[in-house]
Amino acid sequence: MSAIRIRTERYVEEARRGIADPVLRRALSGLQERFGRGTAEAYRRLPEGPGLRQTAHAIREKAIAHLDILLERLARRIRENGGEVFFAATAEEAVGYCAGIARRLGVKLAVKGKSMVTEEIALNPALAAHGVEVVETDLGEYIIQLAGETPSHIIAPAIHKTRNEIADLFAQHLGIPRTTDPPRLTHAARRALREKFLAADMGISGVNLACAETGHISTVSNEGNIRMATTLPRVHVAFMGMERIVARLDEYEIILRLLCRGASVQDIGTYVSFIGGPRRPGESDGPEEFHLVVVDNGRSRMLADPRFREMLCCIRCAACLNVCPVYGRIGGHAYGFAYSGPVGAVVTPLLTGIRRGRDLCLGETLCGACKDACSMDIDLPRMLLELRAILAEGDPGWGVEPSGGLERQAWKLWEGLVSRPALYERALQAGAVLQRLLPRTPAGWIRRLPPPFSGWTKSRDFPPVAAEPFRRRFAKRRKEADRG
Amino acid sequence: MAEHREETLFFQTLRRALGHPPNAARPAGDLFPAEPSAEERRLLALVSGRSEQEREEFVSRLAAAARPLHLEVQALEDLAAARDAVLRLVAEKSPEWGGEKQLVAWSHPLIESLGLAEPLARQGIPLHLTRPVDSALDAAAADEERRRQRSRIAASFIGITAADFCLAETATVVLRNRPGEPRSVALLPSIHVALVPRSRILADMKELFALLRWEERFRTEGLSNYLSFISGPSKTADIEATMVHGAHGPREMVVFLVPG
Repeated sequence: MSAIRIRTERYVEEARRGIADPVLRRALSGLQERFGRGTAEAYRRLPEGPGLRQTAHAIREKAIAHLDILLERLARRIRENGGEVFFAATAEEAVGYCAGIARRLGVKLAVKGKSMVTEEIALNPALAAHGVEVVETDLGEYIIQLAGETPSHIIAPAIHKTRNEIADLFAQHLGIPRTTDPPRLTHAARRALREKFLAADMGISGVNLACAETGHISTVSNEGNIRMATTLPRVHVAFMGMERIVARLDEYEIILRLLCRGASVQDIGTYVSFIGGPRRPGESDGPEEFHLVVVDNGRSRMLADPRFREMLCCIRCAACLNVCPVYGRIGGHAYGFAYSGPVGAVVTPLLTGIRRGRDLCLGETLCGACKDACSMDIDLPRMLLELRAILAEGDPGWGVEPSGGLERQAWKLWEGLVSRPALYERALQAGAVLQRLLPRTPAGWIRRLPPPFSGWTKSRDFPPVAAEPFRRRFAKRRKEADRG
Repeated sequence: MAEHREETLFFQTLRRALGHPPNAARPAGDLFPAEPSAEERRLLALVSGRSEQEREEFVSRLAAAARPLHLEVQALEDLAAARDAVLRLVAEKSPEWGGEKQLVAWSHPLIESLGLAEPLARQGIPLHLTRPVDSALDAAAADEERRRQRSRIAASFIGITAADFCLAETATVVLRNRPGEPRSVALLPSIHVALVPRSRILADMKELFALLRWEERFRTEGLSNYLSFISGPSKTADIEATMVHGAHGPREMVVFLVPG
C-alpha cells in the first residue's frame, strides 16, 4: 500500500531528481505537447468561445459564496433518496467514518476509482490498517499501486512509468508472460481487476462535481472503472471536497464541458455517472448503501481568506499541469503531496502549511501559462504572489512568521541606497571596481557572486555594473542632443 | 447522534468562513428557480417543434461524432433489421472470457419487440432478460435473485439496453436507472448494444437537461438514482499514452437507431 506522506520539504531535492530523469522528461514533454496545445484549441472551438471559462468562473464563485445552502440541499436530497451524508471537518473524521462502515459490514476488499481527495486524506493506508485490501482500479493508479509509488499527475498518474517497467511489474504481480505491448498489458489488468470488482464488498470513488438542485454527485471516467466500483459492491462510499458543487443542471453542463476539455481535450468523458442514492426496490444491481463524505480538511480556511477563496473554484482538471514549464521539467513527485503542478503549488501550502510548502510556491515562474490554461479561469499566479508575500511579511492567521533577517536587511540596505542618489552613485563606483575580482562569462557577465549572494548565480549569471552608469550616459546624450 | 454534532460544527465553520452568522441556515433565494429561464424555454420549444428532417440531420451528426470514439452507429429501417443486426453480431463475435455464447437484455418493451428469443433459441443461445426483483421476495431470496442475475450478466458477451436519449453532439447514450434495467448490462458484457428510438435523439446536453428539469413527462423521474452518459466503448491511455479500447467496461459499443 502506498503510504501518503507530506514531503513538501524535499521539493528541491526531488525536483533535481526529476530534472535528471531523461525518461520522465520525455514523457512529460510528450504529455505537454499533446494536451497543452490541444486544450487551448478545444477552448477556442467551444460554441460560446473561450469566454465560457469566465462564465464558468462566475458560476463557481457563486457556488462557493452559497456553499452552505448548496451542501444542505444536496444532503437533504440524497437523504430523501435513501443515501447517507457525512460532513467531515478533518481528514481523520472522513477516514474514520469510512473505516466505521467497513468494520460494520465486515468489508475485506474495496475497489477504488481515482480520487485526489482520498489521496489527500490518506484513506488507503488507514483502511489497510483496518485490514481492508484497497485496490486502485484506474489503470494508471493500479500500476503505481503495484509499484508502491504515488501519482505524479492528477489525470495521468503513471505518466512517469515506461512500458518496460510496467511489463516487469505485471509479470511479477499478475503472473503473465512478460510483454511490453500496451493492449496486452491493459487486457491483463482488465482480467485481474474484473475479478476484484466482482469480489469487492465496498466501492470507493471521488466526486468530480455535484449538483445541489437534483441532489446528485457525478463521476467522470474513460475506463469505466468508476462505474464498476459504484455498481457492483454492496456499499458505495463517495468522497468530495466540500467545494465541488454547483447549484443547477444548466450550470453543471458548462462546468462538465470545460472539465473534459481541460482534463483530456475531450468533448465528453466516456462515462459520466450521476448518482443520487442507493439501489431502489426492484432494482437488481447498484449498492444497497450509498454514503457521501463531504470533506473540509482546511478548505474553510481558504474560504475565509479573500486572497485564497478563488482557489475553491478549482475542479482539479489538471490543465495547468499540462502547460507549466516547471511541472514539465520536475514532474509531479517533487510537489510532495496529492496535488502537483501550479494547482499543487497553491493548494498544498494552504492545506498542509505555508512554511512547509514554501519551496512549492517559490519554485513556480509566474509565467501565467496556468491561468491561460485553467478551465475555470483561476488566477493562480496572483495566489502564488500572495503566498510569497505571506512568506516574506508573515501572517499570524496562517501561522507564518516574517522571513529571516538577512533578506529583509538586504532590501533595507537597497532601499537606503536607491533613495540617496549620491550614495547610490558611490556604491556603484565601488561595485565597478570590486567586480573586477569576480569571474566573468565570455559575454562579460558575472559568473559567480561572493556569499551571501552566491545563491543567485548558482544557476544564472549576474549583469555587471556598467562602465558608464546610465544616469551619466543619459545626461551626456541629452547635452549632445541639445547641442545638435 | 454524533453525526449531527459533527454536521452542526461543519456548517458553523462554513458559515463563519463565509462571513455569515454561524447558526442560522440561510434562505435559498433564487438559487433554485421554479420556472425555466428564457434560454431553457427556447430549448424546450426547439425540441418540441423539431421536424422529421432536422432529426435526420442529427443522425449524420451523431455518426460523425461517434467515429473517433470507436462507437459504431447503425441506422436501421425497422425492428426486423435491428433484430438481424443483433443476430449478425452474435454470429460474428466470440466471447472474450471463453465459455458459450450468451446474451443479456433489459426487460424493456422495445427490446422484447425485436423478437430475438425465438431465433436465438433455435441456435441454442441463451438470452437472459433482466426482470425486476419481485418485491414479494424476502431479503434472502431477493439477494439470491440478484446474485443469479449478476452472474448471468457477467457470463454474457453481449448486453442490450434501450436508451432514454441520445445526444448527437457528443455521441452520448443516456440511460436512466429503473427496476428491470440494471446498469451492469451496459458494463460487464464485452459488447454493449444500445437501442435508440430516433425521436429520442437530442442535439446536446443542454437540451437534455432542459427536458429533465422542466418537461413534465421526464421531470417526475428526473435523473433517477443513477443516470449514465456513455459515449463509446471503455478506453484508457495510461500506458505511455497509447489508446487501448476495453479497459474495464465493454470493449465494443454499437448504437442501433430504430424507428419510434
